[in-house]
Amino acid sequence: MARREIIVPRNDKLNVSRNFNLPHSPGIRAGDFIFLSGMLSTDPQTGERSPGTMAHETRQTLANMRHLLESAGSSLERVVKINILLYDLLEFENMDAVYRQFFPKDPPARTTCGVQLSAGMKIEIECIALAG
Amino acid sequence: MNRVVIAPPSPGLDMATGYGWVQSSAIRAGDYLFVSGVLPIDPQTGERLQGTLTSEAHRAFQNLKLVLESAGSSLERLVQVRAMIYDRIEYDALNRVYRQYVPGGPPARTVWSVRIMDAFKVQLDAIAVI
Repeated sequence: MARREIIVPRNDKLNVSRNFNLPHSPGIRAGDFIFLSGMLSTDPQTGERSPGTMAHETRQTLANMRHLLESAGSSLERVVKINILLYDLLEFENMDAVYRQFFPKDPPARTTCGVQLSAGMKIEIECIALAG
Repeated sequence: MNRVVIAPPSPGLDMATGYGWVQSSAIRAGDYLFVSGVLPIDPQTGERLQGTLTSEAHRAFQNLKLVLESAGSSLERLVQVRAMIYDRIEYDALNRVYRQYVPGGPPARTVWSVRIMDAFKVQLDAIAVI
Protein backbone atom coordinates (compact mmCIF):
# COMPACT_ATOMS: atom_id res chain seq x y z
CA MET A 1 0.00 0.00 0.00
CA ALA A 2 1.27 3.50 -0.85
CA ARG A 3 2.53 5.50 2.10
CA ARG A 4 0.82 8.73 3.16
CA GLU A 5 3.06 11.43 4.53
CA ILE A 6 2.47 15.07 5.50
CA ILE A 7 4.47 17.65 3.55
CA VAL A 8 5.53 20.91 5.23
CA PRO A 9 7.61 23.88 4.01
CA ARG A 10 11.17 24.29 5.34
CA ASN A 11 10.27 27.90 6.16
CA ASP A 12 7.92 27.65 9.17
CA LYS A 13 6.43 31.04 8.32
CA LEU A 14 4.87 29.46 5.25
CA ASN A 15 3.15 26.68 7.18
CA VAL A 16 -0.19 28.42 6.88
CA SER A 17 -2.09 25.32 7.97
CA ARG A 18 -0.41 25.46 11.39
CA ASN A 19 0.04 29.22 11.75
CA PHE A 20 -3.61 30.00 11.03
CA ASN A 21 -4.78 26.89 12.92
CA LEU A 22 -6.57 25.48 9.89
CA PRO A 23 -7.69 21.86 9.61
CA HIS A 24 -5.55 20.96 6.63
CA SER A 25 -1.94 20.06 5.89
CA PRO A 26 0.20 22.08 3.47
CA GLY A 27 0.51 18.94 1.40
CA ILE A 28 0.21 15.19 1.45
CA ARG A 29 2.47 12.75 -0.28
CA ALA A 30 0.73 9.57 -1.39
CA GLY A 31 2.93 7.13 -3.24
CA ASP A 32 4.56 8.94 -6.16
CA PHE A 33 2.24 11.96 -5.97
CA ILE A 34 2.13 15.10 -3.86
CA PHE A 35 -1.19 16.89 -3.35
CA LEU A 36 -1.00 20.47 -2.10
CA SER A 37 -3.68 22.43 -0.31
CA GLY A 38 -4.89 25.60 -1.98
CA MET A 39 -2.33 28.38 -1.46
CA LEU A 40 -2.88 32.11 -1.07
CA SER A 41 -0.23 34.83 -1.26
CA THR A 42 1.74 34.70 2.01
CA ASP A 43 4.74 36.79 3.06
CA PRO A 44 7.65 34.39 3.67
CA GLN A 45 9.24 36.78 6.20
CA THR A 46 6.23 37.42 8.42
CA GLY A 47 3.85 34.56 7.61
CA GLU A 48 1.03 37.08 7.13
CA ARG A 49 -1.20 37.20 4.09
CA SER A 50 0.32 39.33 1.39
CA PRO A 51 -2.48 40.85 -0.69
CA GLY A 52 -1.68 43.05 -3.65
CA THR A 53 -2.10 43.18 -7.37
CA MET A 54 -2.88 40.03 -9.31
CA ALA A 55 0.73 40.03 -10.53
CA HIS A 56 2.07 40.28 -6.99
CA GLU A 57 -0.19 37.62 -5.52
CA THR A 58 0.48 35.23 -8.41
CA ARG A 59 4.26 35.69 -8.09
CA GLN A 60 4.26 35.25 -4.30
CA THR A 61 1.97 32.23 -4.35
CA LEU A 62 3.98 30.43 -7.03
CA ALA A 63 7.26 31.26 -5.26
CA ASN A 64 5.82 29.75 -2.07
CA MET A 65 4.54 26.74 -4.00
CA ARG A 66 8.04 26.22 -5.40
CA HIS A 67 9.45 26.37 -1.87
CA LEU A 68 6.91 23.87 -0.54
CA LEU A 69 7.48 21.43 -3.39
CA GLU A 70 11.25 21.72 -3.09
CA SER A 71 10.97 21.16 0.66
CA ALA A 72 9.46 17.79 -0.22
CA GLY A 73 12.07 16.96 -2.87
CA SER A 74 9.84 17.88 -5.79
CA SER A 75 9.78 21.03 -7.95
CA LEU A 76 7.60 23.17 -10.18
CA GLU A 77 8.92 21.17 -13.13
CA ARG A 78 7.32 18.07 -11.57
CA VAL A 79 3.82 19.59 -11.35
CA VAL A 80 1.32 17.65 -13.43
CA LYS A 81 -1.90 19.53 -12.70
CA ILE A 82 -2.67 23.01 -11.44
CA ASN A 83 -5.98 24.55 -10.52
CA ILE A 84 -6.19 28.33 -10.57
CA LEU A 85 -8.98 30.08 -8.72
CA LEU A 86 -9.35 33.76 -9.56
CA TYR A 87 -11.59 36.34 -7.90
CA ASP A 88 -12.33 37.86 -11.30
CA LEU A 89 -11.65 36.35 -14.72
CA LEU A 90 -11.00 39.82 -16.12
CA GLU A 91 -7.60 39.44 -14.44
CA PHE A 92 -6.76 36.22 -16.29
CA GLU A 93 -4.12 37.85 -18.49
CA ASN A 94 -2.49 39.55 -15.50
CA MET A 95 -2.18 36.14 -13.84
CA ASP A 96 -0.94 34.41 -16.99
CA ALA A 97 1.81 36.96 -17.65
CA VAL A 98 3.44 36.09 -14.32
CA TYR A 99 2.51 32.42 -14.47
CA ARG A 100 4.43 31.87 -17.70
CA GLN A 101 7.66 33.01 -16.03
CA PHE A 102 7.39 30.08 -13.61
CA PHE A 103 6.58 27.51 -16.30
CA PRO A 104 8.75 28.38 -19.31
CA LYS A 105 8.68 24.85 -20.75
CA ASP A 106 6.18 21.97 -20.82
CA PRO A 107 3.67 23.61 -18.46
CA PRO A 108 1.33 21.47 -16.35
CA ALA A 109 -2.26 20.71 -17.27
CA ARG A 110 -4.34 23.53 -15.86
CA THR A 111 -7.91 24.49 -15.10
CA THR A 112 -8.94 28.05 -14.28
CA CYS A 113 -12.19 29.27 -12.81
CA GLY A 114 -13.62 32.34 -11.12
CA VAL A 115 -14.79 32.05 -7.51
CA GLN A 116 -15.16 34.08 -4.35
CA LEU A 117 -11.95 33.72 -2.30
CA SER A 118 -11.27 34.10 1.42
CA ALA A 119 -10.07 37.34 2.96
CA GLY A 120 -10.33 39.41 -0.20
CA MET A 121 -7.46 37.58 -1.86
CA LYS A 122 -7.29 37.59 -5.66
CA ILE A 123 -5.86 34.18 -6.45
CA GLU A 124 -5.65 30.72 -4.93
CA ILE A 125 -3.57 27.93 -6.48
CA GLU A 126 -3.54 24.21 -5.78
CA CYS A 127 -1.61 21.48 -7.51
CA ILE A 128 -0.70 17.85 -7.89
CA ALA A 129 2.98 17.08 -8.50
CA LEU A 130 5.18 14.07 -8.86
CA ALA A 131 7.37 13.44 -5.86
CA GLY A 132 11.12 13.75 -6.34
CA MET B 1 8.03 8.20 -12.49
CA ASN B 2 8.15 10.20 -15.69
CA ARG B 3 6.05 13.16 -16.71
CA VAL B 4 4.91 13.23 -20.31
CA VAL B 5 3.29 16.14 -22.11
CA ILE B 6 0.32 15.02 -24.21
CA ALA B 7 -0.02 16.91 -27.47
CA PRO B 8 -3.42 18.43 -28.31
CA PRO B 9 -5.53 15.93 -30.28
CA SER B 10 -6.54 18.51 -32.90
CA PRO B 11 -5.44 22.02 -33.87
CA GLY B 12 -8.48 23.74 -32.39
CA LEU B 13 -7.84 22.21 -28.99
CA ASP B 14 -4.32 23.63 -28.82
CA MET B 15 -5.04 26.29 -26.21
CA ALA B 16 -1.37 27.24 -25.92
CA THR B 17 -1.11 28.21 -29.58
CA GLY B 18 -4.67 29.28 -30.28
CA TYR B 19 -5.47 31.12 -27.06
CA GLY B 20 -1.98 31.83 -25.74
CA TRP B 21 -2.71 30.03 -22.49
CA VAL B 22 0.25 28.62 -20.57
CA GLN B 23 -0.88 25.01 -20.29
CA SER B 24 -0.39 21.60 -21.78
CA SER B 25 -3.42 19.79 -23.15
CA ALA B 26 -2.79 17.00 -20.65
CA ILE B 27 0.05 15.50 -18.65
CA ARG B 28 0.62 11.80 -18.23
CA ALA B 29 2.30 10.69 -15.02
CA GLY B 30 2.67 6.96 -14.64
CA ASP B 31 -0.75 5.39 -15.21
CA TYR B 32 -2.59 8.66 -14.66
CA LEU B 33 -3.69 11.35 -17.04
CA PHE B 34 -4.31 14.91 -15.84
CA VAL B 35 -6.37 16.93 -18.29
CA SER B 36 -6.55 20.71 -18.54
CA GLY B 37 -10.01 22.19 -18.25
CA VAL B 38 -11.96 21.27 -21.39
CA LEU B 39 -14.21 23.88 -22.97
CA PRO B 40 -16.87 23.81 -25.69
CA ILE B 41 -14.78 24.95 -28.61
CA ASP B 42 -14.57 23.70 -32.16
CA PRO B 43 -11.87 21.01 -32.18
CA GLN B 44 -10.72 21.95 -35.65
CA THR B 45 -10.89 25.75 -35.68
CA GLY B 46 -10.79 26.58 -31.97
CA GLU B 47 -13.86 28.78 -32.37
CA ARG B 48 -15.78 29.30 -29.15
CA LEU B 49 -19.11 27.47 -29.40
CA GLN B 50 -21.21 29.26 -26.84
CA GLY B 51 -24.75 27.99 -26.71
CA THR B 52 -27.12 26.39 -24.27
CA LEU B 53 -25.80 24.45 -21.32
CA THR B 54 -26.88 21.30 -23.15
CA SER B 55 -25.06 22.11 -26.38
CA GLU B 56 -21.95 23.22 -24.52
CA ALA B 57 -21.90 20.09 -22.35
CA HIS B 58 -22.12 17.84 -25.41
CA ARG B 59 -19.26 19.68 -27.10
CA ALA B 60 -17.11 19.67 -23.96
CA PHE B 61 -17.61 15.93 -23.49
CA GLN B 62 -16.76 15.26 -27.13
CA ASN B 63 -13.59 17.32 -26.75
CA LEU B 64 -12.71 15.54 -23.51
CA LYS B 65 -13.16 12.24 -25.35
CA LEU B 66 -10.71 13.41 -28.04
CA VAL B 67 -8.08 14.35 -25.47
CA LEU B 68 -8.48 11.14 -23.48
CA GLU B 69 -8.36 8.88 -26.52
CA SER B 70 -5.33 10.62 -28.01
CA ALA B 71 -3.50 9.78 -24.77
CA GLY B 72 -4.58 6.13 -24.70
CA SER B 73 -7.41 6.61 -22.22
CA SER B 74 -11.17 6.94 -22.66
CA LEU B 75 -14.35 8.20 -21.02
CA GLU B 76 -14.71 4.75 -19.45
CA ARG B 77 -11.32 5.25 -17.75
CA LEU B 78 -12.22 8.52 -15.99
CA VAL B 79 -11.39 8.55 -12.29
CA GLN B 80 -12.52 11.97 -11.13
CA VAL B 81 -14.37 14.82 -12.79
CA ARG B 82 -15.04 18.35 -11.67
CA ALA B 83 -17.92 19.48 -13.81
CA MET B 84 -18.05 23.25 -13.70
CA ILE B 85 -21.25 25.06 -14.61
CA TYR B 86 -22.08 28.74 -14.60
CA ASP B 87 -25.28 28.46 -12.60
CA ARG B 88 -26.69 25.86 -10.22
CA ILE B 89 -30.08 26.17 -11.87
CA GLU B 90 -28.68 24.11 -14.77
CA TYR B 91 -27.68 21.15 -12.56
CA ASP B 92 -30.39 18.87 -13.95
CA ALA B 93 -29.66 19.92 -17.52
CA LEU B 94 -26.01 19.01 -16.96
CA ASN B 95 -26.93 15.60 -15.59
CA ARG B 96 -29.11 14.77 -18.58
CA VAL B 97 -26.11 15.20 -20.87
CA TYR B 98 -23.54 13.89 -18.42
CA ARG B 99 -25.14 10.47 -17.98
CA GLN B 100 -25.01 9.83 -21.73
CA TYR B 101 -21.20 9.95 -21.68
CA VAL B 102 -20.63 7.82 -18.58
CA PRO B 103 -23.29 5.13 -18.88
CA GLY B 104 -21.58 2.46 -16.78
CA GLY B 105 -19.63 3.01 -13.57
CA PRO B 106 -19.41 6.80 -13.73
CA PRO B 107 -16.35 8.51 -12.22
CA ALA B 108 -16.23 10.30 -8.89
CA ARG B 109 -17.62 13.77 -9.50
CA THR B 110 -18.08 17.19 -7.98
CA VAL B 111 -20.15 19.89 -9.62
CA TRP B 112 -18.86 23.41 -9.06
CA SER B 113 -20.90 26.51 -9.82
CA VAL B 114 -18.26 29.02 -10.85
CA ARG B 115 -17.44 31.63 -13.42
CA ILE B 116 -15.81 30.10 -16.48
CA MET B 117 -13.46 31.72 -19.00
CA ASP B 118 -15.00 33.58 -21.93
CA ALA B 119 -18.50 33.31 -20.45
CA PHE B 120 -18.78 29.62 -21.22
CA LYS B 121 -21.45 27.67 -19.37
CA VAL B 122 -19.53 24.41 -18.94
CA GLN B 123 -15.97 23.30 -18.25
CA LEU B 124 -14.82 19.73 -17.55
CA ASP B 125 -11.78 19.08 -15.38
CA ALA B 126 -10.71 15.45 -15.34
CA ILE B 127 -8.28 12.84 -14.07
CA ALA B 128 -8.25 9.46 -15.80
CA VAL B 129 -6.16 6.32 -15.94
CA ILE B 130 -4.45 5.19 -19.10
